[in-house]
Amino acid sequence: MTAEAPPVVAVDKSQDSAPPSGVRAWLSRHPLAAYAIRRVGLYFVELWGALTIAFFFFRLIPGDPVQTLIQTLQQNYMYNQQASTELIARYQQEFGLTGNMFSQYLKYMEKLVLHGDLGPSLINYPTPAQDVILRSLPWTIGLLGISAVLAWVLGVLLGAIAGWRRGKLGSAIATNLSIALSHVPYFFVALILVYIFAYSMGVLPARSAYDSNISPGISLEFIGSVLKYGLLPGLSIVIIGTFSWILSTRMLMVPVLGEDYLVYAEAKGLKGWRILTRYALRNCYLPQITAFGISLGFIFNGNVLVEQLFNYPGLGTTLVTAIQQLDFNTILGVTDIAIFSVLTAVLLLDLLLPLLDPRVKYWK
Amino acid sequence: MRILTAVLRTIRNSRRLAAGLIILGVMVLLALFSPVIVNAIGGGKDPIEVAAYEKWLVPGPGHLLGTDQFGRDVFAMVMKALSVSLQIGAIAGIISTVAGVIVAFVAGYKGGWIDGILSTFTGILLVIPTFPLLIALSAYAKNVSLFQVGVMISIFSWPFAAKTIRSQVLSLRTRPYVDLARVSKARDLEIIVTELLPNLLPFIGVGFASSALGAIFGLVGLEVIGLGPGGVVDLGQIIYNAITTGALTLGAWPMFVVPIVLLTLLFAALNMVNIGLEEVYNPRLRGVAGE
Repeated sequence: MTAEAPPVVAVDKSQDSAPPSGVRAWLSRHPLAAYAIRRVGLYFVELWGALTIAFFFFRLIPGDPVQTLIQTLQQNYMYNQQASTELIARYQQEFGLTGNMFSQYLKYMEKLVLHGDLGPSLINYPTPAQDVILRSLPWTIGLLGISAVLAWVLGVLLGAIAGWRRGKLGSAIATNLSIALSHVPYFFVALILVYIFAYSMGVLPARSAYDSNISPGISLEFIGSVLKYGLLPGLSIVIIGTFSWILSTRMLMVPVLGEDYLVYAEAKGLKGWRILTRYALRNCYLPQITAFGISLGFIFNGNVLVEQLFNYPGLGTTLVTAIQQLDFNTILGVTDIAIFSVLTAVLLLDLLLPLLDPRVKYWK
Repeated sequence: MRILTAVLRTIRNSRRLAAGLIILGVMVLLALFSPVIVNAIGGGKDPIEVAAYEKWLVPGPGHLLGTDQFGRDVFAMVMKALSVSLQIGAIAGIISTVAGVIVAFVAGYKGGWIDGILSTFTGILLVIPTFPLLIALSAYAKNVSLFQVGVMISIFSWPFAAKTIRSQVLSLRTRPYVDLARVSKARDLEIIVTELLPNLLPFIGVGFASSALGAIFGLVGLEVIGLGPGGVVDLGQIIYNAITTGALTLGAWPMFVVPIVLLTLLFAALNMVNIGLEEVYNPRLRGVAGE
């Protein structure tokens, strides 16, 4: 924000009295650009704030990663000698634990921002934490991304139909079911699905992300296996997600149905389905795009549990393993990546919105 | 008395609110009487003691829901855990609501740069995935009391309350009657207590319900992956036990199904209260959320 702050203030002031000169005038003539600059500025403030909160949060929790590492090494290599002070100092240096907390913070941020370096991991020492995370990232993006988008599309469509056909039995059932189920945690559904399809019927696998007999690669067999193994975890996210989108879309849909332009469309003799998709739905899905961005963090939280239950090799499982072994760098790294992804997705959606919705005026 | 009749009228007007409150009420009653129920099941001895009965008894007349891997009566355990879950929800809900109300009033009523900072901070906490932070916090909290767990979880659930209440404060503070109070030289605190708070009550209720929901949700999540704070047995813990011991394959399905059904009912009830309250106090939404 610091860099962008002056022009933003200027935009507000130059609203009505604008002697055309320099940046201010340009910004008042380009409201969208002004909006974009302000939004990007806010993004950096949020990102910095969130990363800082996360860093100090983890540093203030008691626990000594170096001691843990030495213990792990001792266990693994039967290395029974007491660790020397030089060794401990060396590791502290490497893990960025020297100096007071503020200088640790500065060093961590410098490495993160300038080099994309999260420090060495403990669960997989000496592999850097960012490599451990990058290995699991595609699985989470695949599972979470596809399920979240699918749930959104299904929920918005079904919710619009439920609003359109309000008063009918089917709509009432869908609405009440959504109210009952939209706040149920994903992993409940996951547990029930595992029970039915994996234990009782034995038709779908309940653990891992692909058949370990098939070597990973771009082959039809491998992709099929990934899809088969992803079905249950994905489905548990899609089911609950769909219900909550049905509910919120229906709430947006019903007031729209009373609008004059819909009456006009009906008077023109347009078919119901066409009115729904071309006229009514367009006003509902725009706010839902913003809502989608805001819900991503929440979806990620649920996803951690789903991955853990299915032993899916994504970020969630990595996070839980790292926490069990007190691997600070990886824990913080996963949190940072999650924060970064969610905030960036929200930013992109917010920047996309004015392009999708010409009515939105952003220069206020 | 007048308040009571107003509350009753509100509840009568919304079937959804009434249904949610009835389910919640039954659960709270069960939780309140859980010591009595547990005693009755034990018939003199403690039914949740390790090795109180035989292991893995199937559900039957003696043990309505069977026993677990340590020979504890599942029905008694579920009753006790329900009360723990509800207490966690209540503690975290109250703390979050108080924090949320304070933040919302300072931010919404005062406005300006304080509002800017506070609402950006609330926004960050709402958007970023806080679950990793919660897991980490809980991993280091061994043998904490129920109250401490409640406090811990409310750190992450207060933004829900703050957001709901703040937006309402923003819309209320520009109403004519607030202006009138201000013109007649009422002090800020007086306006907040006598003019704003009464009109905010339903939204404070919504804030409470959603933070309580978030707190129970969070704790159950921690328990289910086995990373819950030590020393607290809630419904999530029973589900975790059922998963790790393979209770399903041993025919002890109630250990798995009953906590899930209870929690689902609880989440549904809290959600119904939320939507019911919003419908009643926001007439534009009435009937919108569906019949």
